[in-house]
Amino acid sequence: MNLTRRNFLKIAGAAAVSGKIFSHGTVDATTGRYATIIDLTRCDGCKEEPISRCVKACRNYNKDRFPKPIKDIKPYWPHKFYEDWSKKRDVISTLTPYNWIFIQRIQIKRKKEIFIPRRCMHCDNPPCVSLCPFGALSKEQYGNTVISDKLCFGGAKCRDVCPWHIPQRQAGVGLYLKIMPEYAGGGVMYKCDLCKDRIAEDKVPMCVIACEERLNDSKAMFFGERQVIYKMAEERARNEGLYIYGDKQNSGTSTLYLSAIPFEFIEAQLKLKRDKFQMAEQIQNPLDEPHNLAKYFLISAFASAFAGIVGALCTGKKKANGNKDKKA
Amino acid sequence: MGIKIKRHSIIEMVEHWTVALSGIMLLFTGIGELPLYKRYYFILNIPGLGWAGDYFKHLKLHYIFAMVFLAGVIFHIIYHGLRKDKGLLPKRGDTGKSFRVLLAMFGIGKEPPSEKYLPEQKIAYIGMGLIILVLTLTGVFKVFKNLPYVYVPPPLNGMNTLIHTLSAFLFLLALIIHVGVFIFKVNWPLLKSMLTGKIDSAYVKERHGLWYEKLKKEGEVHE
Repeated sequence: MNLTRRNFLKIAGAAAVSGKIFSHGTVDATTGRYATIIDLTRCDGCKEEPISRCVKACRNYNKDRFPKPIKDIKPYWPHKFYEDWSKKRDVISTLTPYNWIFIQRIQIKRKKEIFIPRRCMHCDNPPCVSLCPFGALSKEQYGNTVISDKLCFGGAKCRDVCPWHIPQRQAGVGLYLKIMPEYAGGGVMYKCDLCKDRIAEDKVPMCVIACEERLNDSKAMFFGERQVIYKMAEERARNEGLYIYGDKQNSGTSTLYLSAIPFEFIEAQLKLKRDKFQMAEQIQNPLDEPHNLAKYFLISAFASAFAGIVGALCTGKKKANGNKDKKA
Repeated sequence: MGIKIKRHSIIEMVEHWTVALSGIMLLFTGIGELPLYKRYYFILNIPGLGWAGDYFKHLKLHYIFAMVFLAGVIFHIIYHGLRKDKGLLPKRGDTGKSFRVLLAMFGIGKEPPSEKYLPEQKIAYIGMGLIILVLTLTGVFKVFKNLPYVYVPPPLNGMNTLIHTLSAFLFLLALIIHVGVFIFKVNWPLLKSMLTGKIDSAYVKERHGLWYEKLKKEGEVHE
């Protein structure tokens, strides 16, 4: 096909249409449909109860999806360890493959504590999804990120690249067992997926339901359309002098924490505690730099195409002349 | 020793080494995107490789080498496509001849006379070319889908990522075979020709009989 002006316009038009399909034309498609507010001014960690309601509801709802590892788990060669939580299924004080939300506690004053329900933030541009080499993670249209336990190889890269190190690994389960279990892979990663099947049916995640059941109108968790949730958080922050966490960190997320005390203070306290799950105020998305490089791919493609055409024209002439000379 | 015959132009050598070296670096940084270097921690102890456990450094380098690789691939397709260069494209009967060439390397049977490129080189070119094409297309798609304002349906994204990772393993395998053939001394002049562009006429006469005859007809070589 000759690259006439008309053809070029046709191709450019097709590219624009396909671009529209992928980008959906608005940023909402990439940020997702839903978001959550976790209000730290209201959460009391259900401290009078043996287990926080949100944690209990999450565990009950997801219990059939928890890992069922083989008995004879091999260490991750050449290391001598493997990550096995199957004998510690009752642990609720941290994130594990059997506990996808937990309540973090921080002492503020002598008798005052803050309770922070911690789970996946469901980032707008999640490094875990972009960088999983097996394509086992996905960013769904609802705003949640999901790990496929069928595809996950358990390399724990998602945990390494997550600014909050949320996903947790269970050895002795998953695809890696069928390939080279001692030498590559390490199990399956588990984390909150925002009750993916429920939100796909326009239902609310179980943690939010459980919170509402206990606290009614003074509930600490709100789930809904992203724009509504973001607006609500901004209004409350403005009217009540609250601080927001999760709207800017890692280039934005679908989880907004509201707090009466600055998040710098929470960050400092967690650092002091050397807590495994930190809450850094300044988190730049590590994918920003590669994104800035992306435009150079176009330059590289056009420059090399141009060089190819010029090169072929120059050497092609020589080739033709050479043949003519020989014929003569 | 005969006279030296031009086998590759400077452009072809630059093309080859651009794709080869950037491809090797893409493999290194691509494997760095798998959680392997941290696991096999002794790699991080190799002097100069202390950074190799950092996924984001690998990603940045992977992008940079991918641009070079992409440039090499696009140039190759357009340059040789427009020139209608067909020397590396297999012809009827090349598959059978490839086996005879390979067997001859092990001392079994006699090698058939070849054109400028050995039949097995032509088959390998198609194989390697297809793998490179898949890697390039899925790689470009990965850069595209990684952009923050782009939404790609999860199944398409997952499939593309998986194809890229698996074809990278095929590329590694093809590269090992490609380099592995230089175990055989009979192939050493071919490696040298990719570095100098020249090849000895005696070697051409013996191994590339069909090309030699053509060169003779064109008056490039004389008995």
